[in-house]
Amino acid sequence: MTKHFLGLGVLLAVGIVYPAIFPNYLTIAISVLLFAGWATSWDLLGGWNGQVSLGHASFVGLGAYFVAIGQSRFGLAPWWTMAMAAAFAAALGYFWGWLTFSLRGPYFSLSTIAVAEILRLVAINEEWLTGGATGVFIATLPEPFGIDLFSRVAQFYMALAFAAVVVATVIVISRARFGYQLRAVREDEDSAMAAGIDPTTTKLKAFMLSAALTSIGGGIYGIVLAFIEPHVIFALLLSVQIALTAIIGGRGTIWGPAVGALVLIGAGEMFRTTFAEANMLIYGILILVVVLFVPRGIVGELARRRIRRLYAKRAQG
Amino acid sequence: MAGLDIFLQNVANGVLIGGVYALIGIGLTLVFGVMRTINFAHGDFVVLGMYSAVLFNALLGWDPYLSLLLAMPIGFFAGVIVERFILSRVIDAPPESALLATLGISLIIGNTILLTFGGEPRSVQVSYASSTLSIAGVNVSMVLLLAGIATVIMIGALYTLLNRTEVGRAIRGTAENRLGAELVGIDTRRIHSIVFGLGVMLAVMAGVTLIPLLFATPTNTGAVFTLKAFVVTVLGGLGNVGAAIAGGILLGVVEVLGASYFMSEYREAYGLIAFLLILLFRPEGLFGRTVKRV
Repeated sequence: MTKHFLGLGVLLAVGIVYPAIFPNYLTIAISVLLFAGWATSWDLLGGWNGQVSLGHASFVGLGAYFVAIGQSRFGLAPWWTMAMAAAFAAALGYFWGWLTFSLRGPYFSLSTIAVAEILRLVAINEEWLTGGATGVFIATLPEPFGIDLFSRVAQFYMALAFAAVVVATVIVISRARFGYQLRAVREDEDSAMAAGIDPTTTKLKAFMLSAALTSIGGGIYGIVLAFIEPHVIFALLLSVQIALTAIIGGRGTIWGPAVGALVLIGAGEMFRTTFAEANMLIYGILILVVVLFVPRGIVGELARRRIRRLYAKRAQG
Repeated sequence: MAGLDIFLQNVANGVLIGGVYALIGIGLTLVFGVMRTINFAHGDFVVLGMYSAVLFNALLGWDPYLSLLLAMPIGFFAGVIVERFILSRVIDAPPESALLATLGISLIIGNTILLTFGGEPRSVQVSYASSTLSIAGVNVSMVLLLAGIATVIMIGALYTLLNRTEVGRAIRGTAENRLGAELVGIDTRRIHSIVFGLGVMLAVMAGVTLIPLLFATPTNTGAVFTLKAFVVTVLGGLGNVGAAIAGGILLGVVEVLGASYFMSEYREAYGLIAFLLILLFRPEGLFGRTVKRV
């Protein structure tokens, strides 16, 4: 655990000086950090707890809409609306999980798509609340301590803080009682139950935490975009992107989702001119490669090899 | 009286569009029933069918129904190849591996179409696009009627294949018990390839019959059809061909009636809500008998 926190500290230090060194590459860094945070949040439920959600864009959308509507309509500062969005997302996660956790495996994944699609339709059609298909525009933001939240540097630090908090949460959970409960439920619900763990409660807690964290990142994303359209932010593709980022990086590992975000966003940027808007092609090809050849994902596979080398060394004496 | 006329009109349209949904759903349910794989790329194969009609029309000036002659066999072999090289390798892995593999295939198909054809919506103009036929005072669109007829023929052919031929018997046997089927000498790997091929062929066919009616866009439409196929099959019970037909027609009627009598903006949502309710309360489907909640 200390090792992981040390790693996180080093990365944070690098992150803090990053805007000074690469001032022209802030937007892509913000994408990487947001996706790292979302994928790590997703992984709490999808990797550590084994419940593959294909509806996490709903929580991104909730966060973004809370911030945008709160600011443009009620003049509420983003930090209040983000807290509200997190609470609302957790409540939604509770209700959603309460409804769907009796379903196992693929049925749960199917139900997450349906719920997310219904939310998207609500966002498009309830114009009095969301501005409909045209979306919401954030024209002004407060300036805490004189910081301009519209500047990319400020947004970068917000995204950095978000990703760091999410990874720190996972580091703590990985060694906590709750983390072991999550994994027990993932491996075998019936055995977990026999060991005195309530699978439904465990899954609900994981879902609520995952949803709340994702929505905070969504709030930051709302500020970054400054203009929120329902078909962008509630898109099934965003849900798929979040899930695949975590899976390709390595499900149920601390650093896997973050590595996945770095690799995928980096690759997307590299092939931007070749593929233009078809950049999800990379996700499609990589997920096939992962499913067929490296089922543990990038970080999971590296960890497996390291352990094997360790055993080999030990066997030699 | 006018109210009744409109009602009958809506029901007729719902039944006909539902027939096409049924066609899409049968492909998905057949694959699930035999391979226990939820095919996320199913809707993208429908879109692939739509674009094949667009392509044949642009290159050779063919009517969509003429292009079926080429599109269906190509779809079948594409399905066989995908099964052989990708899905057969994850069939014994944890169930979500196959799901993720089909998700990858879906992304690859959608984005490859996007790279080839560009993002703007495409369609095929046919001379009979706006003509209608009046049957007992109910006006039915020609395009929908043709789609309905094609659906009935296809379902009949499929029924014969499944119930009257040796391959069909092998397919049913594999669906019922894969190990048992292997013990009596059925090559279940070959059956899996054939079934996936059939599933893709049905999806492609549905796409071709829909193209005079709908515009095709590369990425979004695929997801929409995949969702519809899920709704249809879950309504009827996953893995049950007869129930998929009923589920498809039910979805068509519910959508059309819901859109014309309640809020049309939520047309897509009615099916999804029904889908969630059924997942929650009757995961075995409305017509399912095998009560096995796993």
